[in-house]
Amino acid sequence: MSAGFLQSALAMEGVSKRFPGMLAVDRVDFDVMPGEVHALMGENGAGKSTLMRILTGSFDDYEGTIRIGGREARVHSPAAAKEQGIGMVYQELSLARPISIAENLLVGRLPVRWGGFIDRPQLLREARACLGLVGLDLDPLLTVGEISQHEAQLVEIAKVLGGQPCILILDEPTSSLSRDEVARLFQILRDLRNRGLAIVYISHHLPEIFEIADRVTVMRDGRRIATKEIHEVTPQSLVQMMVGRSIDEFYLRREAKVGATVLRAEGLTRYGFFHEVSFTLNAGEILGVAGLSGAGRTELARSLCGLDPLYAGRALLLDEPLIPNDYPRNAARGLVYLSEDRKVDGLFLRLPVSVNLLAGLRGRSGNGSVVQRCLDELAIASASPEVDAGTLSGGNQQKVLLGKWLATGPRVLILDEPTRGVDVGAKRKIHEAVMALADRGAAVLLISSDLPELAGLSDRAVVMRNGRLIGELSKAQLSEEALLLAANGHLEDCHAKA
Amino acid sequence: MPRHDSGKQNILSAALETAGIYAVAALLLLAGTFVSPKFLTGDNLLEILAAVALLGIVSAGMAFVTYSGSMADLSLPSIMAFSGIIAVASLPLGLAAALALGVLAGLAVGAMNGFVVGRLNANPILWTLSVAFFMEGFMRFAWSNNQLYPDSAPGTPGAAFIGIFRIGVGIHPPVLRTTPLQGGSGTVPLVVVVMFLMFLLAHFIMTRTRFGRESQLVGSSRATARASGIRVPRVVFLNFLFAAFAASVAGIFLTSMNKLGVFYLGQGYDFKAVTAVVIGGVMLSGGRGRLSGVLGGVLVIGLLSNIMQFLGITAFRQNIVTGLVFIAVVGLQQYQLRAKGRDYA
Repeated sequence: MSAGFLQSALAMEGVSKRFPGMLAVDRVDFDVMPGEVHALMGENGAGKSTLMRILTGSFDDYEGTIRIGGREARVHSPAAAKEQGIGMVYQELSLARPISIAENLLVGRLPVRWGGFIDRPQLLREARACLGLVGLDLDPLLTVGEISQHEAQLVEIAKVLGGQPCILILDEPTSSLSRDEVARLFQILRDLRNRGLAIVYISHHLPEIFEIADRVTVMRDGRRIATKEIHEVTPQSLVQMMVGRSIDEFYLRREAKVGATVLRAEGLTRYGFFHEVSFTLNAGEILGVAGLSGAGRTELARSLCGLDPLYAGRALLLDEPLIPNDYPRNAARGLVYLSEDRKVDGLFLRLPVSVNLLAGLRGRSGNGSVVQRCLDELAIASASPEVDAGTLSGGNQQKVLLGKWLATGPRVLILDEPTRGVDVGAKRKIHEAVMALADRGAAVLLISSDLPELAGLSDRAVVMRNGRLIGELSKAQLSEEALLLAANGHLEDCHAKA
Repeated sequence: MPRHDSGKQNILSAALETAGIYAVAALLLLAGTFVSPKFLTGDNLLEILAAVALLGIVSAGMAFVTYSGSMADLSLPSIMAFSGIIAVASLPLGLAAALALGVLAGLAVGAMNGFVVGRLNANPILWTLSVAFFMEGFMRFAWSNNQLYPDSAPGTPGAAFIGIFRIGVGIHPPVLRTTPLQGGSGTVPLVVVVMFLMFLLAHFIMTRTRFGRESQLVGSSRATARASGIRVPRVVFLNFLFAAFAASVAGIFLTSMNKLGVFYLGQGYDFKAVTAVVIGGVMLSGGRGRLSGVLGGVLVIGLLSNIMQFLGITAFRQNIVTGLVFIAVVGLQQYQLRAKGRDYA
């Protein structure tokens, strides 16, 4: 694929970027050929994001040289990066929901007639052309709020492609997509590649890498560990390069000591989100909730603990009813919820790690020993407990988030995507902590889109689809394939299999 | 948990955070000595304190609103006027009752603000701006645009009320003994003592109570505070209540000073208090700052305006300078945040 005589679309040579107190990127070489998908992998904090932020012009003080199409380029501002033909699709959507697709696509370069009025026919033409690039046939005048998450993700890509980049960077583009949608996205990426685009693909999902990438570069601790053709590596060897050690059996099997019922949900309903949901949760048990994104799992969890409204049904914690809409009271009784998105409502990013760890205790018994115990137990890599939580890597942030609730000694812990976007080492640590909590007799409700995690950690799983619980899988039936089938509504198949 | 309990590094960074504003104050002291030989006298320094005491009291309250993420309570001036009017109007019931009712009247407005912003999620700036507008109209309507004069005959509650601002507390710092001050010779005005007490109280509440710690969390991120099981509406409510309490106390002193209760007393204190709070290092985005810094901010404003008085700069031109200082400080805060790479904030 990468024949030597071809001019590379992008070549970074000896690129470094120093932050106060750390070398985030250390003399990294990285290149992409036209018509190639080059995967960039590494644990959180390995330096992938910083490397890509250099490329998109976030810093004006990096070292080393960047060549684009063979010519040396200085990308010292986002505008310069765009001009050089670098387009990046970020993990978080940058679309404005109340605005039409067309205006979102052409933001910053809306076609105007004399006097500054928008040239509407031209706008629609250009928007349709953009959408065509990603195979979408939508009315460009719909607002982004009216289309699905998956379509919005494609519109995001179309928006970047509209700037006619020669290098396209995608950062975890599939984290909110179902498996079918991923397949469609990959088809589009292959088309783009065949048209000569150079694509950098950042992902934590090994199967995706093997499906789409031509070459893969692994980073660790700010350095480039290796660049290989995809057929030269195996999932095992990739993971080993990423973590610097071999992980033979990632998921420890454990025998759950299931005790009495702690939580009983009866007919929980929030119209439009979930309907008639009933289940029981026992002490010492990890109950998985399987389902596709949009199945209503997060909404169920938030209503259950009192963060969002509940219209019908009731939940009993140790045979005492939970109060709807009163999370502070329910949390004080030991039912806590680990937020899905640590950046939105999980962490106080601008406050020190220590304050974050004690936030769940609400001043009940806050002191330094609690902080130190959390830091030790979860192996949180933080220069000091007094640095801002926002300065930590994603994996350590997620550990702090978990530590906040572990410190309160919960009876029921609801985990919502506890390891999303987290590196392998941190994931392991988080799983160990959750299992230890269950072994101490707490009940855990686990919502996760990470199927190996769900299959490996749960003692039992309920399956949710379109806002309803459609069935249950026992420990013996739990497997990645079974969960996937069940989440897609083929429950009979996996019961038949088991 | 008080933050400074958790490490030496923290004490140092905390000291540095407020050192800046006191360095500015020291510079202004130095500059003042060149402006006038009378500047660095106990007499003048006490005068500066007396001049900023009301602002200090209001700022201590305003700091809570800013710290807890609601930016500013623009209704504080109207609360000052309102509690003053109510106090004067209820003087026939006796001095103690009048003071209590005055403070209660202010607290009532604060409670309304706290409920609407905390529970109903109104935008704090727009809501308190509307309240200020409403209160002005309400006070003019209810008292038919009249000013209320307390009875100043000796021995009446009215005379005692007028005396409040003029009471000196019997502390006799040696430096001051030779310099007679308005109201009493060689004594510190009560309002200055109250200002320091208010700052002590506010500092204690902010660092040592659960409410204070939760205010920081709410100020830092309301959504995260909610998802951490904190009663956000209650925390916001109490912040506005405390601000209203401070404004009521200041309003009663101001009314006593002017010997009349009227709707326009307190005008301008909103902006000046926000300036003191922000130049004192409390972030407008919430969750960061300390009251020692706010006190420093108040002193800097007092020094600045005193020096300008010596230079013969008129009040309106002083406003221009205060406005410019505010703009510069907000710009600097934003720059510092970016320089520290806190773009995750």
